Amino acid sequence: MGIRRILAVNTAKIIKTACQAAGKQGVTLAGKIAMKLDPSILAELASQVREGIFVTCGTNGKTTTNNLLCSAIRAEGKKVVCNHTGSNMLNGVVSAFVLSAKWNGKVDADYACIEIDEASTVRVFPYFKPDFMVLTNLFRDQLDRYGEIDITMNLLKKAMQMAPDMKVIVNGDDALSAYLAKDSGNAHVFFGIGDRYFREENTREIREGRFCKRCGERLIYHFYHYSQLGDYECPKCGFKRPWLDFNAKNILCGGKLGFTVDNFQISANYRGFYNIYNILAAYAAGKTAGLALKNYNKVLAEYNPQNGRMEEFRIGDTEIVLNLAKNPAGFNQNISAVMEDNRKKDIIVLINDNSQDGTDISWLWDVDFERFKDINTISITVSGIRCQDMRLRLKYVGIASRLEPDVEEAIRDRIAHGAGNLYVLVNYTALYDTHNILKKIEGEMR
Amino acid sequence: MNRKIVVGHLYPDLLNLYGDRGNIQCIMKRCEWRGIDAETIEYGLEDKVNFSKLDIVLLGGGSDREQMIVCQRLQEIREDFEAYVESDGVVIAVCGGYQLLGHYYQTDQGKMEGLHLVDIYTEQKPGRLIDNIVLKSELFDMPVVGFENHGGRTKIGNNKAFGKVLYGSGNDGESGYEGVIYKNVIGTYLHGPLLPKNPQVCDYLIERALERKYKEKIILAPLEDKEEMEANSYIVKRFL
Repeated sequence: MGIRRILAVNTAKIIKTACQAAGKQGVTLAGKIAMKLDPSILAELASQVREGIFVTCGTNGKTTTNNLLCSAIRAEGKKVVCNHTGSNMLNGVVSAFVLSAKWNGKVDADYACIEIDEASTVRVFPYFKPDFMVLTNLFRDQLDRYGEIDITMNLLKKAMQMAPDMKVIVNGDDALSAYLAKDSGNAHVFFGIGDRYFREENTREIREGRFCKRCGERLIYHFYHYSQLGDYECPKCGFKRPWLDFNAKNILCGGKLGFTVDNFQISANYRGFYNIYNILAAYAAGKTAGLALKNYNKVLAEYNPQNGRMEEFRIGDTEIVLNLAKNPAGFNQNISAVMEDNRKKDIIVLINDNSQDGTDISWLWDVDFERFKDINTISITVSGIRCQDMRLRLKYVGIASRLEPDVEEAIRDRIAHGAGNLYVLVNYTALYDTHNILKKIEGEMR
Repeated sequence: MNRKIVVGHLYPDLLNLYGDRGNIQCIMKRCEWRGIDAETIEYGLEDKVNFSKLDIVLLGGGSDREQMIVCQRLQEIREDFEAYVESDGVVIAVCGGYQLLGHYYQTDQGKMEGLHLVDIYTEQKPGRLIDNIVLKSELFDMPVVGFENHGGRTKIGNNKAFGKVLYGSGNDGESGYEGVIYKNVIGTYLHGPLLPKNPQVCDYLIERALERKYKEKIILAPLEDKEEMEANSYIVKRFL
């Protein structure tokens, strides 16, 4: 037993190192091989975590929330296992544990922070039962892979019921997530943004779950924050936004983010209203587990994403922000974050249709791209495998774009001839490569 | 005299799964670019649909659960809808909306009674048909491209298919045909959405709607469709 585990751990480490030397990520492959060599490895290593295991699920914000939570717990002086890169299916989860194990096949950790793809929860939970689950939100995403949201909700419910002692930390502003938490029978706490923030609402935005999951009646919304997140109530059965255990108040958004929760002031130098939810979710999770989180603001100040989530680069005189945008809700929030910057800017949008992106790109038509129209938007370049579709999409909102299938060419062109302020929005399979291209160009220009 | 068409979008709250808004945007823009007035009326479940006001009816796709809710509502307006179709009213129905036009849709959850507006029926089978798809329709020279994602297998009775499948599965993955045409009704599994990458289909719908309304032969002014053609031919070249 012990020998197999040691073999599995060390083989996985070698594979990871070899893959990285060859310019590949190698994380999922390492997990896959480890599981082959020792099928009990995940259950065994997870059981060695001393204090608690968190899992983070939800359509958007998983990686950021999970990584923030990990940093926050480390700031408490604890040791944490984490799948930082966002490899979040079974093999990615295995990898996180295996790669953090020592050569003797032992994990030395107080906590684990593991993000899991919603559909993979039922495949991971047979190996360990988490103590906490953070559920960020549920939006439509990759319908060709996951099917309708109803299917995802059924899987998550099943997963929650597989771990009945797991406490669920849920976005109460999302009627779908809140219903799921109540329906599961698991203990739960809710976080959310209690008061109205936006005076004007985008009435065209795609919203999921307009009808009550409990009784089927159309929900009444007192206001929306974005997509279907807001203050809702069912006029028929009384289902409504729950009491928020962690209620973000005094919201500040635009260039910087700030809010108070439990009279604790939180500030971060981030863009994007959606990041309030990520910061709040990680805070709620840590607090629910009984952690003090006194250094949370310091954690936020030092948090420097290296994974293409609002990752910043500076190449010559050009400031560049790389961000992942992979579904309508996420993309709409990305556009808001980009447009918060009122300087002149160039934008590159890259759309691939590999299987991990979803081969169906019809969701592009559910994104409100007309909001890119602005005097300070100097240019938009469309790139990637489905750049033609993206160009057509923009045409129908009256935006002309440049077509450059090769993203490296597109980036180099904008560095040479652009406004010095570049946003690169890419979907999933382009993220790693684009990150590497930007690192490479950064190195050349140094 | 300015010409005008009115598009009725049925139940977008429930049927809006695969970028169907793009079909509406496409009709509106292609009218606007030609100086034709165009208006969209969105109907919710509570609203009464006045078919006599409409020139194009659009029915999109939704989840099985949502489709069931819509189906019950549509039964209440079936006669008006039928009169509209029989008087050459233009209909474009996609995915779930397409299935509802037929006699029935049998799922593992039960049987949904259809509208009997076209001669098709649909039965759910294990495994979904999910992929890019390319058709040749006899209505157009340019191939029709899109994306399909359906668990239902549709059989056609006395009506014609919308097109012959050149790549993909089509109605049932066996017959080699996709969609249905009856009078001025087009039903199809293609989303992506359908119309932007297939401007020939969009213009066909606009022409039929104008001819019915103004009772004269209409040939629309051609548009510069570079982006549309290139997006269409990219799919054709990649999969054929």
